[in-house]
Amino acid sequence: MSAHGRNGRARAGIVCALATLVALGGCRGDSQDVRGAAVGDRTLPQQQTKVVLAADTTGLPNEGALAHVAIGDLAGIGNNTLDAKVANPYANDMAAIKAGHELFVNMNCAACHGYDLKGGMGPDLTDTYWRYGGSPADIYKSIFEGRPEGMPAWGRSIPPEYIWKIVAYIQAKGGAYPAALADRGRQGDLGDDDTTSGSTLKGRNNVH
Amino acid sequence: MMRPAALHAPSRALVLASIVLLAACGTRDYQGRTASAATVATASGAVDGELAAPAVAARGAAWLPPNAGDGDWLMPSRDYGGTRYSPLTEITTANAGQLQLAWTFDDGESHYGHEMTPLVANNTMYIVSPFPNRAFAIDLTKPGGQLKWTFEPNPSPIAIGKACCDAVNRGAALYEGKLIYNLLDDHTVAVDAATGKELWRTKLANVEDGTTMTMAPMVVDGKVYVGNSGGEMGVAGWLAALDANTGKVLWHAYSVGPDTLVRIDSQFKPFYSWMRGKDLGVRTWPANSWKHGAGAVWGWVTYDPDLKQIFYGTSNTGPWNADQRPGLNLWTSGVFARNASDGMARWAYVFTPHNEWDYDGVNENVLVDLPMGGQTRKVMVQFNRNGFAYTIDRLTGEVLVAKPFGHENWATGIDPKTAMPIVVPEKHTVPAGRWVRDICPADIGVKDFEPVAFSPKTALFYVPVQNVCMDYKGREVGFIAGTPYWGAQMTRHTGPGGHPGSFIAFDAATGTKRWEIPEDFLVYSGALATAGDVVFYGTVEGWFRAVDARTGKILWSRKLGSGIISAPMAYRGPDGHEYVAVAAGVGGGAMTQASQKGFPARGSTYYVFALGQNIPAASSPSAPGGTGAEPKKEGGKP
Repeated sequence: MSAHGRNGRARAGIVCALATLVALGGCRGDSQDVRGAAVGDRTLPQQQTKVVLAADTTGLPNEGALAHVAIGDLAGIGNNTLDAKVANPYANDMAAIKAGHELFVNMNCAACHGYDLKGGMGPDLTDTYWRYGGSPADIYKSIFEGRPEGMPAWGRSIPPEYIWKIVAYIQAKGGAYPAALADRGRQGDLGDDDTTSGSTLKGRNNVH
Repeated sequence: MMRPAALHAPSRALVLASIVLLAACGTRDYQGRTASAATVATASGAVDGELAAPAVAARGAAWLPPNAGDGDWLMPSRDYGGTRYSPLTEITTANAGQLQLAWTFDDGESHYGHEMTPLVANNTMYIVSPFPNRAFAIDLTKPGGQLKWTFEPNPSPIAIGKACCDAVNRGAALYEGKLIYNLLDDHTVAVDAATGKELWRTKLANVEDGTTMTMAPMVVDGKVYVGNSGGEMGVAGWLAALDANTGKVLWHAYSVGPDTLVRIDSQFKPFYSWMRGKDLGVRTWPANSWKHGAGAVWGWVTYDPDLKQIFYGTSNTGPWNADQRPGLNLWTSGVFARNASDGMARWAYVFTPHNEWDYDGVNENVLVDLPMGGQTRKVMVQFNRNGFAYTIDRLTGEVLVAKPFGHENWATGIDPKTAMPIVVPEKHTVPAGRWVRDICPADIGVKDFEPVAFSPKTALFYVPVQNVCMDYKGREVGFIAGTPYWGAQMTRHTGPGGHPGSFIAFDAATGTKRWEIPEDFLVYSGALATAGDVVFYGTVEGWFRAVDARTGKILWSRKLGSGIISAPMAYRGPDGHEYVAVAAGVGGGAMTQASQKGFPARGSTYYVFALGQNIPAASSPSAPGGTGAEPKKEGGKP
């Protein structure tokens, strides 16, 4: 129905919001999807650190060691490419957060997780409940690798620096815990002051 | 099949009344109790005595699959016409107050909503769970129902995150010893109903691209009709026909695209001129945008065995942001009548052209013959998401009646000449990028997929009604396969009057409401009508109710463990008695109200009710009236 006088402006369903992504294959014609872009040598961010186990005198791994294996890897998804305690190089960078917000909308993250990040088809990203870990590096890995219940693997089409900017946006919305608290977050021991949202932590004060 | 002891009320005085008289009686709305106070209500002002409608040639209710006994239920709607009418008469308006819980069954999948209807044949109940779509066969001859087999199809978990509105399933169909249903990951499976062994499995689509399958197949004459879900994921909608014996795909009929894909040829005769012309599934769209224009087929299919035609609706138009797709956007948000054999279209009608509000057209098209204007008309009736109840000549596609059946404010009516909605200018959502306030109904509609029931005894439809409105803002969206192609932001609120739901009786011949039971929660369950003149429905709070089909008086209510979004059914047990079954497991679109105070937790339990005196003592050894059935000492089993 042309009742609205839209004089035939056909956008063909494609909105290439970021020219950089066009070049990188993140935004394509409608006969293709986002998969299949070459990942090449940018699979690992340079911040990757090596997991080093503490000296073992008991024959058992020390308490922190198991936590170095990301939860997603225990579930059998992806490779252990990133230490959960790596900090986001773009955390608190206002320009990066703004870019992350734009990516969050334009790559359709908002359609699943909500324009307010409160969830919908996909999980709420503003609380402290993270199935695959909620440290910045955990979130990076979930975006990069995808997750079994429908989360696409964006590492195939979004370069690492842009993924880190999306993570910075999520951090800015309160839905993450600091890298240094990765172990505590996984074990359910976050306290009121440990995240910016604090929404699900009322009355908890887990002083270690 | 055993016949039950006849329990017809001997004192029933059948007063033949004309439709006109019924209409006059029905002008008083029933002042029903709301859920918080409901036990048994007295219908003040309700009709005294019983009235019987003229014998309606309600073909739909009589169109049953071969070998279906009156106590069987072989497909979600029981009959091809989609009436959800049970001819069983043991439970009546006089004794419904004595309904008691007979037994329960839990499928263990409480994470997701339960939208399906159980099936019964050969003294066995068949149930399909939400994801991971397990099937269960329950032996009804054993006390409390004994699990006969479980079938685990193990669909891909990727499907969970591609389903817009919960990882639901709307049920299965029994056909020649097979239980046939869809998996969320786009496969149709046939399982041996006797053994639970898989007979065939057919892949219909790639789940990674955003397509899922949630609808219940219709199986007729060796063909399985299935359709896709994904109206929010940029799919192109289709209905496919599969060979029931092998699972081989026979044809696809798309809802968008060129006539060859839509299966339109010279037999296609839409009633209204704006739907006539070549390749309108392409030409009513901006270039190529039909390819992601949805028109998914996730609702119900009905079948007219005389015409040998199938009827089904098409989903919302994609993306929701109508700014990105100027044009009529055919054939989304509409209905098709097709040859059952080759799928060629006979007519179509689009309820909401250039749909700006997510008003899908997928709701069930109930096939009945109604007395209208002195003659009997073969019609299909759809209670559309957009708030209008359409009574359509199913031979021609002509809209005979189109009247609101709940609160809507987006259109002042349906133009009698063109059958196009007359849209209220302030409720247009284009141009996008601005908030449009208080559009009624919200995206979930005045009624969603949850199916109505029709009783040929009263000639009335029994309809779950939603009263939810929205503030809406269209947003620009790009297509990325496997992610939502949605393009809208919204908030929802309860409409005028403060009741988010109600249950009504509706005369589709005239487009008038007969009675209404307001509820404090959404009514998002299907309905069941029975020959005992008792109608059943449930609320999202978890109340399951039996009401008088003629007056709307609440005869009986029971609070179940979770909200009810499934459709109840009735069957005759091996003992000859009438049972009513319903699932309680809130989810799906009902979750849009999850922040309401008192909203229940999810669940996954099926409840089966019967008159207390008929519940076998073995299921409840200490129940009064138990006969015989001494518990055995050894083994601890009765």
